[in-house]
Amino acid sequence: MTTVVFGLAVGTWLLAIGLFGSVLATALLGYEYVTGDESFLRVSKAAAGVATGSFVIALLYLTSQFLSGDYTNAYVWDNTANYLPTLYKVTGVYASNAGSILLWAMLTAVVVTTTLLLGRYSTRGARLSQSLGMGVVTVFAWMLVNDSPFTPLSAEYPSVAANGIPQDGSGLNPLLVDPFMAIHPPITFSAYALMVVPFTVGVTHFVAKLRGTESMFDDWLGSMTRWLRGSWLLLTAAITLGGIWAYRVLGWGGFWSWDPVETSVLIPWLGLTAVLHTLNQYRRSGRYAVLAPAATAALLPLVIYATTVVRSGVFRSVHSFAGGGIGSGVLFLLGTTSTLAVGPAFIHWFRTEQSDAEEASLLDRATIYHAAVLGFILLAFVSLWGLTFPVVRSLASGVEVSVDARYYNLWSFPVVVGMLLAGGMYAQQERFSTRATVVTAATVLIAALAVGFVLARPEWQLASTEPFDPVYYRAIGSLSVVTVLPPAVYFAGAWVVRYAGRLRRLTGRQAKLNETGIALIHVGAALLIVSVSFVYVFSTTASVGIVGATELDDTGERIVRDVEGSPYTVEVTNYSPENTPTMTEAAMTPAEVGSVDPSSSVILVKGEVTAVQRFEDTTIAQLNGSRVWVGADSGTVQFEEGSVIVARGTLSDPRSENIDALVYTNGENVGPASAPPTDVYSPRVVDHRFDVQLYRGDTLVADGTVAEQSYRGRDMQTNDPLIERGITGDTYVVGTRTAGGLSIEISRYPLANQIWFGVAVMLVGMGLVFLFDPASGAAGGRRSGNRD
Amino acid sequence: MNARKTITIAFFLVVLGVGYYSMNAAPVVRDDAHTYQGGLEWETDPGTALDAAQSQDKPVLVYYWATWCTYCERYDKNHYRNETIRAAMDDYVLLAINIDDPGNGTALVRQHQATYPPQHRIMTPNGDTVESVEGYIGRDELLATLEKRSEEAT
Repeated sequence: MTTVVFGLAVGTWLLAIGLFGSVLATALLGYEYVTGDESFLRVSKAAAGVATGSFVIALLYLTSQFLSGDYTNAYVWDNTANYLPTLYKVTGVYASNAGSILLWAMLTAVVVTTTLLLGRYSTRGARLSQSLGMGVVTVFAWMLVNDSPFTPLSAEYPSVAANGIPQDGSGLNPLLVDPFMAIHPPITFSAYALMVVPFTVGVTHFVAKLRGTESMFDDWLGSMTRWLRGSWLLLTAAITLGGIWAYRVLGWGGFWSWDPVETSVLIPWLGLTAVLHTLNQYRRSGRYAVLAPAATAALLPLVIYATTVVRSGVFRSVHSFAGGGIGSGVLFLLGTTSTLAVGPAFIHWFRTEQSDAEEASLLDRATIYHAAVLGFILLAFVSLWGLTFPVVRSLASGVEVSVDARYYNLWSFPVVVGMLLAGGMYAQQERFSTRATVVTAATVLIAALAVGFVLARPEWQLASTEPFDPVYYRAIGSLSVVTVLPPAVYFAGAWVVRYAGRLRRLTGRQAKLNETGIALIHVGAALLIVSVSFVYVFSTTASVGIVGATELDDTGERIVRDVEGSPYTVEVTNYSPENTPTMTEAAMTPAEVGSVDPSSSVILVKGEVTAVQRFEDTTIAQLNGSRVWVGADSGTVQFEEGSVIVARGTLSDPRSENIDALVYTNGENVGPASAPPTDVYSPRVVDHRFDVQLYRGDTLVADGTVAEQSYRGRDMQTNDPLIERGITGDTYVVGTRTAGGLSIEISRYPLANQIWFGVAVMLVGMGLVFLFDPASGAAGGRRSGNRD
Repeated sequence: MNARKTITIAFFLVVLGVGYYSMNAAPVVRDDAHTYQGGLEWETDPGTALDAAQSQDKPVLVYYWATWCTYCERYDKNHYRNETIRAAMDDYVLLAINIDDPGNGTALVRQHQATYPPQHRIMTPNGDTVESVEGYIGRDELLATLEKRSEEAT
């Protein structure tokens, strides 16, 4: 029950306390940085602790409201329903704007407060960093107080609340009802939260440079690298889980469709990968003295840009579950963090005379490494620009232009090929001469271009092209996808050879495991790039309409059809629509009726008739021996003791001390539970299931169920595809109900599982580096030296 | 100037080049009066489409789409660029409505309850709806629907 105190819900008060605590902590920590006076340090720590505690309690409280189905809270009513299992009730907490911002705010507050409470980060510069971190939390808190997930239903939806407390929620977006979706957002926001401290440390570094004070960037370098690696692990896992989810939830067209949100989350991932490379160089050689901290600081704005894409409503996407309200706060955060990340860094770079003592030739390892770093930035730019320019152009000229998968694929492909070559050269140069490396790379390039042109059959081309397409698209699109194979093999091979050489020289177990991790990340990346490229080009699709499929019953009746344009034959049996929940499940027990607001108009009850009484022309029946009775005109309904009934009716005045609730019904609205009057109840979800066998010639290649769910009130469908996994690829069958019966679509995704395998190899690799890189403070670590 | 600086400058030139070229190379999907789904010229105003339908005595094919809709891309690529489908579509006046920004089509979206893309409706020149196709269907099914309804709806 939402309790309102002084006009605000209790949960909103928690957020307000969080806002107060974060404002106080931001101000005091800023004061401590400016003056060096730490006499308020205990207060600032307490304020940050209170803010963090408030957000943790607020999130737990909101979760408990979801679990108990407290529909006096508008956000709860809007994002869950009784029929959902516990897992998806928790998913509802972050299904919409306010809840996901609360989750992000809570995680960010925990991270920033941890650095404050740990004694390790207590220099004067650290106070600025912590102040900036709490500043970010403050903006989140302000957004949450203004758009609270605790707003009472009566304030948000007065017309709904006018009928009493709803007995059921309006539901969760059906696309979110998937186990991968339940864990995808928390992992994503954890990755985002871990980028906050690197952002503040990056900004603080340049502020210190501008003020001529000592920077703490080098002191924090080891721990920050670990945080960013942790963030990379989580973000990679989150993107992959999102991909698997998209693959399982049809309507999103495969695992990656360059939807704006998918694209936007790739931008911080590419940025993070580039940052890890620059930090690695900075730590080892001192190179990237400006770029490394500047790029580190820029990660958070990139993440907020990704959130802007999802939440502002400017970028339309299948992820735009809810619009408005919180967008302006995100835009403010984007503006301020971008300015802080770029401004001081740029001024420092502009004012400082860059030393150019280190002469490097075009083929030096440092130059090649630099090219690879620029490659990541270029890839990030391609994604960022693809999202941005249609909006800019539409605002400027009113003309809407299309940016489809081809834009992203064809601009990214040459960059990726170039990066594979550069990465291979970098690894090879460690053990081979520059001359040998150049000869190898040139040979690989020639091989790549040769297969690119020779194998450019239409079915192997990167993209179908038309004569009126721009020259660039025709040129790159007409290359064979096999172009990527020689550079990928070279890249993976060079890293394996480098690994083998290093392993012989290394003696410590941890160093060997760290080195293994580095090799696995690169080999996994090569595997991922090849499998993704091949899946795009070699996937095939065919479809067939099956008239009369919804007439099939479960007696073994079947329909067999050849799928035109493919080698498949499809056989369909056993159509069975199921209502979720069924009418009997949806009906309340007498105990549940007891908690219904008396002003509720129509309710559905079920129970065993345990007593029957007659008063003039009315008959009333007691349910389950409780104080809840069902009543009806004697002429229309005869109740029988011992029978289990389901009835729909209005709550009437009981006019008796022995009756708490009387549900008044009539003959058309009551029936036995075994055959309830179905037209009195509309199920929320109807699940249409078909058993399908798919043959390729005489061989059974897929056998299982395809299903389509239709949702009342949401006017949409979701599908459960039948996925037959195999080493060479997946067979993917989708059934869509049509007016005439069923439309079956069969796709073949070669190398689909190699994508997931490639990611797994990368994650294992990064896990090893995370745990065993001694230079980043991990097992047996040492602090890095000072850098400028 | 060392090589790292050289390739950094080259990098910025490439970035500018990619930005400029890609923006100008992007196909137009919509201007003030038309949308260009599947390389076809669709009306965007229901009034204009129905006027054209009456004067040409053709039914109207209404297509509800969105820029982010992956199944619309499949319609675009697999269906509208297919010669047989295009021939069948010649018997229709084409009307495409972006459900995110329906403009003058707002009332029609509401009338057809087209809340998610892609969807098709076939209307007589008088504006009566005679067929609804919700979601994605195969090419043959779309063709059969178009051929059947073009006879009935006029």
